[in-house]
Amino acid sequence: MLVFAISDKGGTGRSVTSSNIVYRRALQGQDVCYLDFDFGSPTVGAIFRVSGAARGTLKGGLHRYLEGEIAEPTRIDVWVESDRDALRSKPPGAGQMVLFPGDEGGAEFPTFEGEMVERCVRLFAKLQEQFDLVMVDLSAGRSHAALLALAATARLPKIPCRWLVFHRWTRQHILAADGLVTGTHGLLDAGEAHGHHRALLADRIRFVRTAVLDPGAAELDGLRDTQKTWLSEFDRELRELASRHGVGRTSMLGKVPLDPVLQWREQLITDEDVQGTMIANVETVVAFDELAKKIVDDAAWEGL
Amino acid sequence: MKLQPRQQLLEIWSAAVRASLRDKNKDWHWGGRHGSNSISDAEQLLCFMYPASELPEFRLDTPDATSDDVLDSLTQLGDSVEIPKRLLALIDQYLVSYTDTDGRPIFAGGSYFLSLESGEEITPQQRALDVVDSYSMSITLMLGTLGFLKVFRSSVRREELHQKISDLEVRASNRLSAAMVGLLRSFTVNVFEPGSSQGKALLRTANQTKVHERRIQEELQKSLSEVRAGLRDLTIGSGAQVELDNPNLLFECGWAWGIVQNAPEVVTDLQVGIQPKGVAPENPFLYFTVNALVGLVDLWSERTRVLGLLNDDQQQLANALQRRWDITQNYWRTIATFGKGRWPLEDIPWRTTDGKESDYYSLGVTAMVVQYLVRSRAGDVDLGRVAGVLEELAKSARITRRPVATDRSAVALHHPGVKVTLVGSEELGPQLVWQVSDFAITLLKRTIWVASIAQSTRTRERLHSLADQIWDHIEERRFFRLPLKGLWDDASNVYAEVSESQSEVSWYFTERVVEFLVTIALTSRESPLRSQQLVDLTGELLAEAEHLLNREQVIRPRQPGQRAQSSITTVAAGLTRARAIMSERPASALALINEALLELDRLAAARENASEAM
Repeated sequence: MLVFAISDKGGTGRSVTSSNIVYRRALQGQDVCYLDFDFGSPTVGAIFRVSGAARGTLKGGLHRYLEGEIAEPTRIDVWVESDRDALRSKPPGAGQMVLFPGDEGGAEFPTFEGEMVERCVRLFAKLQEQFDLVMVDLSAGRSHAALLALAATARLPKIPCRWLVFHRWTRQHILAADGLVTGTHGLLDAGEAHGHHRALLADRIRFVRTAVLDPGAAELDGLRDTQKTWLSEFDRELRELASRHGVGRTSMLGKVPLDPVLQWREQLITDEDVQGTMIANVETVVAFDELAKKIVDDAAWEGL
Repeated sequence: MKLQPRQQLLEIWSAAVRASLRDKNKDWHWGGRHGSNSISDAEQLLCFMYPASELPEFRLDTPDATSDDVLDSLTQLGDSVEIPKRLLALIDQYLVSYTDTDGRPIFAGGSYFLSLESGEEITPQQRALDVVDSYSMSITLMLGTLGFLKVFRSSVRREELHQKISDLEVRASNRLSAAMVGLLRSFTVNVFEPGSSQGKALLRTANQTKVHERRIQEELQKSLSEVRAGLRDLTIGSGAQVELDNPNLLFECGWAWGIVQNAPEVVTDLQVGIQPKGVAPENPFLYFTVNALVGLVDLWSERTRVLGLLNDDQQQLANALQRRWDITQNYWRTIATFGKGRWPLEDIPWRTTDGKESDYYSLGVTAMVVQYLVRSRAGDVDLGRVAGVLEELAKSARITRRPVATDRSAVALHHPGVKVTLVGSEELGPQLVWQVSDFAITLLKRTIWVASIAQSTRTRERLHSLADQIWDHIEERRFFRLPLKGLWDDASNVYAEVSESQSEVSWYFTERVVEFLVTIALTSRESPLRSQQLVDLTGELLAEAEHLLNREQVIRPRQPGQRAQSSITTVAAGLTRARAIMSERPASALALINEALLELDRLAAARENASEAM
């Protein structure tokens, strides 16, 4: 299955969340891979702590593959090449976890032509056969990467594909997430232009809320009562706003609570982080785990 | 009030889900203490549907807006998307179970019917008899369902779900029509001679000041002339063909326990199926009359009108019912508050014309008096009298007084309950009775109802403290062991005389508790009662405070960066806020003004002190 991660605004935690979903899915025993299509800033290696690809690879990554300079983009086996001890050895029962980094110094494509779509289609088709889950991390906003993905998937109607739109739980982000999907030149418009069926594409899009502050969470016990009251009232208003803009709970796949660790360092959260050093919250891992299951669960995508 | 309705309702929801999904494979389990029937199952569903349709915070029809704690309490049913779908399936099951093969909706009392002599086998024909309780409960449930479907539809995109909703809408609407027709055919007027036993009983009830019987009869006839005229004008349904022209005859009106004998068929284009023959004699029953009056109100509630839940033909039936509602309500409150001295209502226990006496009947009559007082914006003198009756009932029913071993009749009110003999049912088998055990919760509902319209704080306080005591009693009657924990009703917790401990939930009782909590939640949303005096006082204080603030701002030299400036800013902000909320919450405004005045006085005192020492 192809899963595209996209967001309207930067700083939503799109990359870190989708990386963690991939990681959880691998732990659940599936073969997964992660494609860094954030061409303007190919830094996803840092999240997996692969030092050779922290700012993209020098050995020929996705940029050069798509431009036709190399026949195969570099693959990094995270279980082998990660610097993090906790990721270094594949836990028993876990699936493969492979990273496809961008090129160091690579930039956003100014445009894309038919050849490039062709190469992209070939890549997706091949990876779909090799992996259970192919996560493609697109950059923020309406990018050429997103258009490329839409064009490629339109030519692969048989391959199941889903879109995750990441947004934070704020007024601006809610409006932006809706705009990214339904606005002019949004995903649906662009998808239709590239040959997608609008309603079918809409069924394949779900939202993921990130860094959500739960007004009832135990960590907020230290807040003043006035702050808590304000939070829960504002939360209610945001819910109303979200449902008016089609970003409500029925079109949401899941939400990830605010975790201090992720605020300061984009990283995979391992069970060691939760149970051993206890630097991360267990709720965060539960949320990732659930997303990793829901992403492939047809019932969760059925909707109303 | 100690009650936290939101918390309580959520607890009941999760308890009700737990009790309903007891089976191993987590299938829905219908029925409770007296098995499953058209009423009990409706009550079970209403435990969910009623809060969901009445309270915005509990809505399940817009999955996007449901709040998280509500979802948490229903988590066993699924997530926000699955819950409404599950409800659709349950409503579907209910409608299938209670529709006959020929398409006629079933309103049978079923397992709620008991035989007068225990051990006698109730015949299937008897079990299939329609009961007014079922009509009344169905009206509430179907209106809740129709509203739910109407709103839920807008969140749905998938075609098959749309079709399912449309299909359910048609069937729910048919059941609603059939329930209305049923109520139109079980209304009755009973005419009798003043000298008959019924006539004597009625005159005795009305004659609290012990005047001459002849005079009381004349006065009673006079005050009932409006009701009499109204009854003469009735058209469709039963109770319309009665001979009321003889002004010497007395009468009573209301609902029988089921469809009355010889009830004419209601002519309508609505799909209501075959209209069965009735067996109930043409005598109104106080219990069923109150039950019908309470259920019918939903037909002309604001929600029903705003959402447009009735079609034109149904509206016509609703109008016919509303006329009966008005007349009946008028009749009973005239009798209950008749005369210049003590009200017949205050003569506890109430005696019905067939010679039955019970505190339960007194409680029933209060419903109609309160309904009248609500509509007539009654003064607190009248409300105080009703409050007295309610207090008296709570005492004699051993709710606010300790139960004593000798007082078995008081305990029997709660368990097993008052037995109402269903006259006419014996033609098809053994004599049937209807068992009513909701005394405590009904008393609480009335108490809160009266409290919500009381103008004076004293009457209100008095009723609230009564309500608190009754609620304590009711809470004790909850089950406190799994799997029924948090549901009702186990009277043996409270009364030592009740030996057998219950092992099944009473949806009958639980649903009434839910209704009560919803009422509480609705009233606490309204703005608080304000006294004009308080508003005036606040206004004057505010005027002084604002004047002082202005002076302070004129005198004070501008000193940038000083903290004193900020205290003036705080005062000004406080007063602005006070002015904004003054008309709605004068007491809160007063508190703000007090704080501002204190601060202003501190500054003034400091200044005076400085000039003294010069």
